[in-house]
Amino acid sequence: MAANKTSPLEQFTIHRIVPIHIGRLDASFTNSALLMCIVVGLVVAFMALSMRGARLVPSRWQSMAELSYEFIANMVRDNAGAAGARYFPFVFTLFMFILFSNLVGLFPFSYTVTSQFIVTAGLAVTVFIGVTIIAFARHGFHFFTFFFPEGAPVIMAPLLVPIEIISYLSRPFSLAIRLFANMMAGHIMLAVFAGFVVSLGLFGVLPILFDSVLIGFEVFIGILQAYVFAILACLYLNDALYMH
Amino acid sequence: MSEPGGADPLRDLGERLDRARRAQQVGGESERDQGLPQGGLAFALRVGVELVAALAVGLAIGWGVDRWLGTRPWGLVVFFFLGAAAGMLNVYRAVQSSGMMGAGGETAHKPHGDRTNEDED
Repeated sequence: MAANKTSPLEQFTIHRIVPIHIGRLDASFTNSALLMCIVVGLVVAFMALSMRGARLVPSRWQSMAELSYEFIANMVRDNAGAAGARYFPFVFTLFMFILFSNLVGLFPFSYTVTSQFIVTAGLAVTVFIGVTIIAFARHGFHFFTFFFPEGAPVIMAPLLVPIEIISYLSRPFSLAIRLFANMMAGHIMLAVFAGFVVSLGLFGVLPILFDSVLIGFEVFIGILQAYVFAILACLYLNDALYMH
Repeated sequence: MSEPGGADPLRDLGERLDRARRAQQVGGESERDQGLPQGGLAFALRVGVELVAALAVGLAIGWGVDRWLGTRPWGLVVFFFLGAAAGMLNVYRAVQSSGMMGAGGETAHKPHGDRTNEDED
């Protein structure tokens, strides 16, 4: 992305920190990779440190960790049933990673990895492939009946089956686009309003006020989008586990 | 010496925990029936993304088919309409599962039906 310093898109540029080239493959360690490592480290530190010396009456940090655990545990149980509880570790990891990426990205001079389409697409495709494998493992070739609605006349099959297949294939796209678009739009909005501050002179207070409100809204969006991603993963899991 | 005094508060605590847990269960149920608890704007955005994603997938398949079989532009045309139909199907399902269609549409949705007989141990 060729953008100069003042562009609101400048914040999304990827630059290499440690250039690594394996053959013709560019496997450089970038700012995005660095932030992902930081996010993973923070999640591990949060869970490990707050559960260290766990007590019956939880401390503040411990109750935060327990709250997030219970929140996801309830969500998986409610949306994917008892059989879905096996996949709780995956959903929890997914949720914590997205949540921390979204929140860490709000710090100044940080980088929002979830505003990068390839990251959200990677997560979404992982969910999609995993769910498809689970469905195959549980139902075998019965899985293909998923693409034909029950009770529909057979003569409609040539029309209905492609529609259902496209609808199924669109799942990872909608997951990935939703998260990426929400994060990117929010950060562009912040940057655009921040750009008004200097040019407005004395009235630059107004965009600053607006930006501070927007930051709060972005925290909300970050949490909401992590939640939406996780709950949709649960719903897809539900479809895979209990097919009609 | 503190044993009779100690057992009672513990049992009391256990009862209160049970009650709280049941209340939470009930609360969770009613909240779940409304599907994803989000604002109207977030829901509208979600529905919009569903529509566009299916259309994009349809177009991508159409383009791929054209490239593969050299049937330009028929693959694109056919899969555009199939993608649009799939998008509408996605939107229909999203709205149906959100419970925004009223009481009639909700019972038809399969995750709800599955949940009532599969989960709850």
